[in-house]
Amino acid sequence: MSDHDHHDHPHPPETQDAGSQALAEALRSSFVIVKFAMAALVLVILGAGFFTVGPQEKAVILRFGKPLGEGQKMLLGAGLHWSLPYPIDEVVRIPITEIQQVRSTVGWYATTPEMELASTEPPAGPSLNPQIDGYVITADRNIVHTRATVLYRIDDPRTAIFNFTSGTNHTFNLAGVSNAVQNAANNALILTAVRFNVDDILTRDVAGFQDAVKARVNDLAEREHLGVTVDQVQVQSVAPRQLKDVFAQVTIARQNYDKLINDAQSKTNQILNEAGALATSITNAAESARTRFVTGVESDAKAFTELLPKYERNPNLFAQMELTKAMSMILTNVGEKKFLPTHADGKPVELRLMLNNEPPQPKSAANP
Amino acid sequence: MRKNLITIIIAAVLVVIFALLLFTFQVRQSEVAVLTTFGKPAANNIDQPNLYFKWPWPVQQVYRFDQRVQNFEDKFSENYTADHNTVLTGVYVGWRISDASRFFQVWHGGSVAAAQQQLETMLRSATLAVVANHNLADIVNPDPAQLKFEAVENEIKAKVQSELAANNYGMSIEFLGIKKLGLPESVTQTVFDRMKSERQKYISEAQFKGEAEATKIKSAAERQAADVITDAEAAATRIKGQGEAEAAKTLSVFQQNPELAIFLLQLEALKSSLNQKSTLIFDERTPPFSLFQNLPANTPTK
Repeated sequence: MSDHDHHDHPHPPETQDAGSQALAEALRSSFVIVKFAMAALVLVILGAGFFTVGPQEKAVILRFGKPLGEGQKMLLGAGLHWSLPYPIDEVVRIPITEIQQVRSTVGWYATTPEMELASTEPPAGPSLNPQIDGYVITADRNIVHTRATVLYRIDDPRTAIFNFTSGTNHTFNLAGVSNAVQNAANNALILTAVRFNVDDILTRDVAGFQDAVKARVNDLAEREHLGVTVDQVQVQSVAPRQLKDVFAQVTIARQNYDKLINDAQSKTNQILNEAGALATSITNAAESARTRFVTGVESDAKAFTELLPKYERNPNLFAQMELTKAMSMILTNVGEKKFLPTHADGKPVELRLMLNNEPPQPKSAANP
Repeated sequence: MRKNLITIIIAAVLVVIFALLLFTFQVRQSEVAVLTTFGKPAANNIDQPNLYFKWPWPVQQVYRFDQRVQNFEDKFSENYTADHNTVLTGVYVGWRISDASRFFQVWHGGSVAAAQQQLETMLRSATLAVVANHNLADIVNPDPAQLKFEAVENEIKAKVQSELAANNYGMSIEFLGIKKLGLPESVTQTVFDRMKSERQKYISEAQFKGEAEATKIKSAAERQAADVITDAEAAATRIKGQGEAEAAKTLSVFQQNPELAIFLLQLEALKSSLNQKSTLIFDERTPPFSLFQNLPANTPTK
């Protein structure tokens, strides 16, 4: 192009008048501007080919509609990239957070985010309008409200964008897969609810219900080839607002039941502990009685063995001595002593004992 | 001249670009295209992404379709089971255009809305027909062996699928499921009444059962405690018996002189029976007061 400039120079001297000279001058300067503009345009076109991919997204370059690169290499990560200008290349951006989240749309009564925040609920009518209020039917044909929040990861963004669409044609996003996961969650809630009884869903087996819902979501995700991994499914279930009070009463009654049983069980422990202690003291007493008895007999035997030679030497004397010794001890110890000599004729003295120790009743006037 | 050359090059580039725009078209990944020649669609679908050639309009024209799985949900509507229950169902399907050329011809230039309308009609009649063949217990049941929920879904899917194929609509169903299940509004009220009486039954049940159960537990404990004590008493008797058996071995010592043994026992009994609280009445024959009667004779021992 610089050659072009030199080439232009020899022309002006050929012009005759000042007017055409001015025109040529103007043309030349505008031509310079056009050249600059063209150069700038080329730069802009090439420069426009640069694009950045953010940390929360992936990008795919479609060259003549076909993804550039094979397999996982197709996906461009965060950073600066370059592509040819449209329509040769087309950059498709996929917003992809680490964890995707979707919430079921069936099974919960009609509410608004404001009500959710304020933890209030709409007034309960006598019945549920199927067009407005969501609910699920349980195996024992009760009605409960339940909802699931599914946290999942996109295993392969290529599947998500190239195999599923949300109905808005020809755009690439995750809405199609998100829709499918949401419907999987809806289906899982309904299908799991019809196999669980109401008390299992609400209280007895909350975790079991949640696991079953998760298993179903997983199963559907696999069967429908959604290319996602379900990380977590959080299920929340409540009794219908219309029956809140009576459900609460059942809970209280069951807690009371548990309390009665617990009390009875602690009473049982107490009774058994006391019985155990008593039993131990009985056997201990028996043990010590036995020891006492055995050692008593043994010491008697020992004493007997020691006394036997003395006795055999003179039985009568021995007996007299022992008896006298005993008597002196007895006479020292005994509270009252009464000496009652026999009559001179040798007949024993008669002694009358009043066995009734009660004081004699005073004779009343009525009973002379 | 150079200037002319450049002009020619630029012109050529522009012509090429223009020609490319006229004579080529792109099919993107996920798309399928149908090429019509004077309005007549070609039978083959262009479903691989690439750059293709065509004659410019009005000779040939390109119609593009999305060949990805699309989500469609029908309206929540009433069905009747074989045992005369009314249930409301809502179904979701993942469908796709399987034959774009057919799809283009059947649906007036490929109107997805028209296709989905027909799909909804088919879903409706298929659901009605399938649910009418099942009892409510097939759809709602605590016993997994009797629950035929998935069978119902599969039957609906098979019915719609075969109808789509029979009519050659150029559509196919990838998956189908029930996404909503309900009861008519009036029925929900009777369900609530029944649930309420069930709850009340549970309340009284919990109360009575609790007391009965607690009494049972306590009486069982008392019986067990009585058993423990009886056992302990039996053990005590046995222990004492063992003591007597042990002592019996020692008793043979007393056999050496039974008179002495008896004498000692009596002496012991005498000592222990006369304690501080007792009153002793004695005469002069009672030793040692027998001394008063007669002194011992001084007879030498042998």
